[in-house]
Parts: sequence; structure tokens; C-alpha cells
Amino acid sequence: MAGPPQKKQKREEKQKDGELPQKKYYRQRAHANPFSDHDLKYPESPAAMDWAQHYPAFAEPQSANSDAIATPRAMTKQVQVADIGCGFGGLLFALAPRMPETLILGLEIRTSVTEYVQEKAKALRVQHSVAGADESASKAVVAQHENATANPQHGLYQNVSCLRANTMKFLPNFFHKHQLSKIFLCFPDPHFKARKHKARIVSLTLASEYAYVLQPQGRVYTITDVEDLHHWMVGHFAAHPSFERVAKEEEEGEKEDECVSVMRTETEEGKKVERNKGKKFVAVFTRIEDPEWP
Amino acid sequence: MAHPFQCITSISSDNGSCLLAACGSKILSVKLDGTVASEWSAEAVLQSNSAENDDEEDKRPAKKQKTAPVQAIVAASPNVIKLVVSPNQEHVVAITDDKAVRVFSIDADFALNELSQRVMPKRPCAIEVLPDNATILCGDKFGDVYSLPLVASPINGGNEAVNSAPQPTAVQPSTFKPSATTLTVHSGRNRLALEQQMKQKNLTAKSKEPLKFEHKLLLGHVSMLTDHTFATREIDCKQRGYIITADRDEHIRISRGPPQAHVIEGYCLGHTEFISKICLIPGTDLLVSGGGDDWLGVWEWPSFKLRRKLDIRAAISGLGSEETRVAISGLWIAPAVNIDDGMPETVLVATSEQTPALFCMATKSLLEEDSTFTTVEIPKSPLDLTCIDDELLLSLDERTTDSPRLQAYRLTVDASDMQTTVLASRSQETETKLAEANKSPSSKVEEKPLNDLLYGIANLRKRGDASAPDEQTAE
Ligand SMILES: C[S@@+](CC[C@H](N)C(=O)[O-])C[C@H]1O[C@@H](n2cnc3c(N)ncnc32)[C@H](O)[C@@H]1O
Repeated sequence: MAGPPQKKQKREEKQKDGELPQKKYYRQRAHANPFSDHDLKYPESPAAMDWAQHYPAFAEPQSANSDAIATPRAMTKQVQVADIGCGFGGLLFALAPRMPETLILGLEIRTSVTEYVQEKAKALRVQHSVAGADESASKAVVAQHENATANPQHGLYQNVSCLRANTMKFLPNFFHKHQLSKIFLCFPDPHFKARKHKARIVSLTLASEYAYVLQPQGRVYTITDVEDLHHWMVGHFAAHPSFERVAKEEEEGEKEDECVSVMRTETEEGKKVERNKGKKFVAVFTRIEDPEWP
Repeated sequence: MAHPFQCITSISSDNGSCLLAACGSKILSVKLDGTVASEWSAEAVLQSNSAENDDEEDKRPAKKQKTAPVQAIVAASPNVIKLVVSPNQEHVVAITDDKAVRVFSIDADFALNELSQRVMPKRPCAIEVLPDNATILCGDKFGDVYSLPLVASPINGGNEAVNSAPQPTAVQPSTFKPSATTLTVHSGRNRLALEQQMKQKNLTAKSKEPLKFEHKLLLGHVSMLTDHTFATREIDCKQRGYIITADRDEHIRISRGPPQAHVIEGYCLGHTEFISKICLIPGTDLLVSGGGDDWLGVWEWPSFKLRRKLDIRAAISGLGSEETRVAISGLWIAPAVNIDDGMPETVLVATSEQTPALFCMATKSLLEEDSTFTTVEIPKSPLDLTCIDDELLLSLDERTTDSPRLQAYRLTVDASDMQTTVLASRSQETETKLAEANKSPSSKVEEKPLNDLLYGIANLRKRGDASAPDEQTAE
């Protein structure tokens, strides 16, 4: 569902092809109830998901095969990085050029915010397409990052997209077992009141679902400015046998995991906290192998 | 008006067989010589904390249910909503709608003797006793599945045991106490992380009292849980246990059994409406699921594959009634005999809410290409079903006092034709023996609360929640 009609109209007036969307037209009430039904669209299973629509540059060429209509188009790559509750997508757009051959997906429960991220991805793709005038701009962005090995044939930002989802209920509808290598949980809604804690995006039982979609050695990255929430997240992941917190050096300091640095500085919330000179609490967990059957 | 038996089950032991039938807050044990061996009545468990209603608000099906004032809940005797027997036939476990799990022993004369009452944090919706005959698996509608010891060990003169180890309290998921869960802390680094946590006082919310009995949180769905079942498979000469859970958001999840219930093995996905019941087919790797979809799913659950969709809507439409929407209220495996050789067979029996019929299919033909359901029409809507020896006992929504609330059938499988069919014949002999149970107590009841007690499945259907609060704008 789209936002209020008036806003939608304004958005369309202002925005031309390749022009970045403006946040002010996509603002939305901060909290959505993760327990209500909403009007969510989700695939009945990961196999039924049409990823080509999100990442057209990574779709297999359409075959003349007759059942091609029935089944979603095959992909050359699968999504490997998920930003859960991505908000306006600051992290997504910072990660995308750093790992141009890795598919990155934002999942967000708020409709307009999701639309904003989708529009922004579209605009950035136009601006950074290889054929487009801005080729040099793309190259420049890639060059900034030493470990961006590839010279993407399809320009930048083709590897980033966003969809509306309530991840607390529907993660396994989108991802196969052990599909993801990284999950980001950046500045989750804190739900301060004890009675609302069950709406938190981290719990012992949800950790089992994160472990299910993560490959062994995959990582969960968490960051928040709310100390209590930090302890909550650390507590629940640390108590879960599928996760182990990484060494301190990887969370902070010179040997910091690159994703941690990006998460600190590029998320919208991270920037806000920076401006207010607040503290940021980071924790990173590795998904360990499942144990042998007893 | 008579109160029908909302749940029935049965016990078969060396002493013979006995039917257990719940009528409102009563449980009758009826011996198959026709005598009523015992009658037990539930009394509300006094709860230290009755302000629980606010917990229920978020996960309701779209339709608003009225919550009775707390006073009324405490005063009324709670209704029995689930009734199961341990595999060794030695214990009975009931759930009552005051959120209590009640365990009974059964004496030689089939009288029930209540051993314990444990009030769960949320209303349980599914329960079973594991093959070890020592563990209860109990799922609540908020999606959490707990294990409890079948026999709660008493300490301090009859009180229930409080585990000396710090318990994670189910009542307050906000209290983080790591050793509380089955999910044990395993590495030095995590232990350090945890110790740091424990120093934080803030972790303990004071809103609720912890549960005062041993329990473990095994797994949880954020979606409303509707059913669970425990499966075992033998791999390399060892038994592996699995917990299969189903939810209102179309998921069937397969987790490992304890002590590794934190590992999710996979999901059987493909339903597009709520799932309300799941049922294992003995001797196979098949699982049947049903709910709001027009079909029942036949899954090869160890590989998570949907093998077949059985059209049940067609069978319901065949009855010619107005309501043809599916709302599966029960899936059972019933014994039958083969009409040709008299060999034992098994039959899948499915029922849909407010639909006066049993939909039957021989389990051996579940995957046969064009096998269809045989419809057995019955006088009233079916409420529950149990099997004693080779007969099937059925509880009907019969509210007049002069018609029987219980019926007995024998099933026969006829595979001589192209199509395998199931025949059902009434068993007069058994029905005569049930005459006394059919006469006995009938708590006073009003139409509306009775309907609410008996029929909750169709409410699980989603209604396109247009009023979802997330569509409003900030500032
Ligand atoms: C405080 S914002 C943080 C946004 C972004 N990660 C950042 O760091 O700037 C939290 C976001 O999570 C989203 N969210 C909350 N619950 C969610 C759920 N169950 N599924 C998906 N998104 C959710 C909210 O809509 C919100 O946009």
C-alpha cells in the first residue's frame, strides 16, 4: 500500500528518472506492530520469490523455456547480505559499492520507507550505469574502496534492493537455509517498556531463525545507542548455542571488521547519534556449525 | 440444552479400555462396559497474577474477541480445551482455559486423580507427552513451545519444585537469565559476555512473577502457534526426535527435539492460508497438514517437500451446504480393516469446522494419483474423535438432550475397485454401552459461550487488516 495520496502525488511531481527521492515525502510513523497482519506480500517459499525484479542485472537471460512464465526467473546470484529494519537505507547504499558482486537486501516493515529505498536504488542505478554519462563517477566510487575487486559490468547499485517485510514472522519465506553471510540489526526499535519487549527484533527464539538463514561462519552485526538494548541483544545471542561473540578487536579499533566501521558511520541512526555525540554499542556474532546429533 | 463433549480421548491398558470425555469443566471416564468410572471437575487455579489480559491483545486473530471481566474468569469453572494420554497410557494431561496444564494419574478402575496444576504464562493451545513418557511438550498461542517434566517434583511439603538453577522465567521474556533455557552457554567467550550481562541490573523486569515450576523454553514462533507434533526417525541405529510446529502464518517448522531444539532443520512451505492441524502418518515419512486452504498438504517432511495437495474443498462442496470454506478442525489416523483380506489398514480422517461429515482416505492411497476423499455424513458437526481398539468414537455437537452426543463407527477400506474407498458403519454394540455417558451430566450452558468454546478455527482466517497502524505518518 502506498502512503497517503497527497504525498504520493508530490513525490511523483518532484522526481524524475535518475533523480534521488526526497526523504520528506516518505516519512512515516515510527512504529509498526510486528504482531498484526498488515497487508503484507510475501512469497509462499523462497523458491517462489521473484528476485529478478529486484536485481535485474543478476537475472539469468530469459530462456525460451515454456515454464519460464510459471516459475520466477533464475538468478546468477542469491542475496547474501540482509539489513533487517533497514530504515532509509544508509547502510545499504554504503555497502553496495564496497561489495558490488554481492546481493544486498534491506527488509523494512514500513511501506513508504521501503518505497523510498527502492526509488533511491533505482535513481542510483541510473546515475551509475556503465552506459550512462556518469561512468567515471561509478569508477571513482569503486576506486575508493581497495577491496572492491570487480569492475562491475553493469554499473553500480544493481546489487542493492529493498522489500517490505515483517522479518519477525517471514524471514524463512525469503531465504533458504544457510543462504546469508551477513545480517545487520542496526539501531533496532528499543521498545523500552517490559511489556513491549516481545516486540524486540532479538530474542532467544528469533536467534534460532537468524541461525537458520545464516551460513556457518556467517555473522550478525548489531549496533544501538541504547545500552539496555545492547545488553539485551548480547545476552540473547550469547545464550544461544548457535552464536559466539567475535573477538573484541573485530568490534572496535584498528582491526575492526570493515562492516562495523560502515555500520557505525553510514546508518541514518548512526549519523544522528554522532551529531548528538551519543554512544554507540556494537556487538558481532559468528554463527557456529550445528552440533552433531546426540 | 445439553453440553456436548468438546474433547474426547481414550486409554487402553491391561485393564481394558476407557473413554475420557470432557464436558465443559468436567472430565468423565467411561468404561466400555458402560459404567462411568469417575467424574472430575476443574476448579479455577488461583492466580497470583490475574492482570494477564493485556498480554493477549497483540496476537489475536483479526476478529475481536471480547474478554470477559477478570472477575468472571476467576469465578467460573474453567473449560477443558485439550485432553491427551501419555504413550504408556499411565497419565492424562488436560489443558483448561485458565491456562493450566493439569496432569492426572489413572487408577486400575480408570478413575482420574489430579497430580498437579501448572499455570502457563500464555494460554496453551497444543500439548503432548513425548515418547519418554516423562516430558510434556506444550505450545502456547503466542508461539512459544515449552517442555515440562510430566510429574512435577514436589518440594517443601507439596509445593511444586522451583529449580535451584536460575530459571529463565517464561512469564517475563524480558528477564534474561541464560542458564534458564535449554540453550546452554557453550564457550568461554560467551560465558564472559553473559557474566557481564548479569551485572546489569536492568535486565530484570519486575512486571511478572516467574513461574514456580521447572520448565524450558524450547523454541518459538512470532506468529500464532496452532499445533505441534513430535516425530522420530531412526538414523544409523539411533532415534532422532523432531518437533514439528505449525502457525497461522502458513509455516510448518521442523526443529530438532530436545536437547537441540534450538536448531531449525527446515520448513515445509506452500500453504497460502492459516494452518490449524498437522498429523503424522505412522510408518511413513509423511505429514498431513490442513487449515484454511482448499487442500490438505501431504509432505515428505524430512526433505520438506510437498508431495501432494488433496482437494478437500471439493469434498465439502459435495455436501451441498452453503459454507464451503475450509477450516480444518481435526486430522486423525483411525484403524480400519481391508474388506478383502481383513488385514488392518489405517485411514486419515479430516474434519472441517461446522461441517457435519468425516472426510476419509486410506493412508496407503494418500499419494495415489487420483485418490479422493470418501465423505461420511454424520448428524451434527464433529467435535473430536478417538479410537478404541478397531473402532472410532466420535463426539458430535448435539445440544438436545434426547439425541446421543457420542457415536461409534467401524471403518473398512475397499481397494477392489480402481478407486480405493472407505466405508463406515455404525457400531450399535458400542453405542449401547455409551448410553450412560450420553445421558450423564450436562452442565448448564448458553449458546454463545459454547460456540466460542467449540469453534475457533475459522477465526484464524486473515481479513486484510486495513486498519494496520503503520500507515499513518509521522509528525
Ligand atoms: C530505528 S529504525 C533503524 C533504521 C536503520 N537500520 C538505521 O540504523 O538507520 C528501525 C527500523 O526497523 C523497522 N522494523 C521494526 N520492526 C520490523 C520488523 N518486524 N520487520 C522489518 N522491519 C522492522 C522499523 O520500521 C524501522 O524503520
